[in-house]
Amino acid sequence: MTESLIVLYGALPYLLRGSLVTIAVVVGAMMIGVIVGISLAVGQVYGDRWLHRLIAVYVWFFRGVPLLVLLFLFYFGLFSLLQINLSAFTVSVIVLGMISSAYQSQIFRGAIMSLPEGQMKAARALGMSDGKAVLLIILPQALRLSIPGWSNEYSIVLKDSAVAYALGVMEMMARAHFVASRTYEHLPLYFAAGFMFMILTYLGTKGLRILEEKVRIPGYSS
Amino acid sequence: MADTTPILRIEHMTKRYGAKEVLKDASLSINRGELKVLIGPSGGGKSTLLQCINFLIKPDRGRIWLDGEEIVRAKGKALYDYRQKVGMIFQDFNLFDHLTALHNVEIGLLRVKGLSRNEARNRAVLELDRVGLTEYMHQYPAELSGGQKQRVSIARALAMDPEIMLLDEPTSALDPELISEVLDVIRTLRSNGMTMIMSTHHIGFASEVADELVFLEDGSIVEVGPPEKVLYRADYARTREFCSKITELYGNSSS
Repeated sequence: MTESLIVLYGALPYLLRGSLVTIAVVVGAMMIGVIVGISLAVGQVYGDRWLHRLIAVYVWFFRGVPLLVLLFLFYFGLFSLLQINLSAFTVSVIVLGMISSAYQSQIFRGAIMSLPEGQMKAARALGMSDGKAVLLIILPQALRLSIPGWSNEYSIVLKDSAVAYALGVMEMMARAHFVASRTYEHLPLYFAAGFMFMILTYLGTKGLRILEEKVRIPGYSS
Repeated sequence: MADTTPILRIEHMTKRYGAKEVLKDASLSINRGELKVLIGPSGGGKSTLLQCINFLIKPDRGRIWLDGEEIVRAKGKALYDYRQKVGMIFQDFNLFDHLTALHNVEIGLLRVKGLSRNEARNRAVLELDRVGLTEYMHQYPAELSGGQKQRVSIARALAMDPEIMLLDEPTSALDPELISEVLDVIRTLRSNGMTMIMSTHHIGFASEVADELVFLEDGSIVEVGPPEKVLYRADYARTREFCSKITELYGNSSS
């Protein structure tokens, strides 16, 4: 027991450096997810039929294929074929980001569609172009409504990021595995890794909860 | 006070959804400073007609002239410019929920008209003052009563300096005790010479302020004339029937 604790204590700085890698992967993926996700949502709601179909296929693909398959497909398959030399870290961020964009687009789309139709009408009636109306009127409201769903998506991406281990990205899981297989102290190390994921989930969702409260429109109950 | 040059003229406006023709060959013209009130049963085409006038609903057919100039290509910048000149008031206000009253009025000035921050602020404050909401300007829509919301939306439309205002049942979503504050604002607009087309069930108010009543049923303009004629000596039996019913319901007095 004490031996386990000593091993764990010794490995802790190493694991914590891994948590920084995990955070970098998650932040990068979520940022790609937001930017692409918002564009997809707007395209799906306001675009023409063909754009709508194209986006539906994108969403279908990234929601339908397992993460591990996508990681291998892009890292060993697509990027090698195209002779694009990207690090395992970068590929993990891109793949997780694209998957997340598919899910996030549906969060944003739902939020946009839940706004009363009159918001768009009033913006148009003032002489705004559809682009301005979306940017100034629709998105500021839709993004506020998206925070709870987004918080959920954050916790999923955070946990999915552990799969980047399979490409050799030295994030938390990879490091826990590395130490565990050398010291045979599996239980304390995987427990520590799991606990660190829980801490990051807590911090992220708590932060988003505070953000939600901060940008809440006065007078609305929820 | 009303002169006789039509500021807005529409001809043969038609709109169909599938097999249902919701607007049939409607033609109307309104002179500067006039107020025309659309009356008629719900689903008769009042709202469709108003929204076709500023292309919130795209008419299938029909022509529109504003100030003698035909709106030929209703898209892009031409459409945005046209819409600035045609103010619109909605039944359920449609204030931008994430903006304070002040910002609701400001946003069109800043982002559509391109005024400077100061100019926009001054104009918005002025317009809110005109509808008596100076002390509420930093409130969000959810913190305002229905009557206050509608007054903000009127201020928002007026700030754009429209040539004509379209009011789509502006008091229908209001609690009875809040109706008069909105009607008072409309009355003031009227006496300041604003050209308006308004749909309403408030027949008493309509007969008090309207130059003409326009009776719409099943998407057709059935009858147009001065209030006392349409209300009491209508040419068509259907108009007479509707008017007597609605007078019974909403009373003769204008409150």
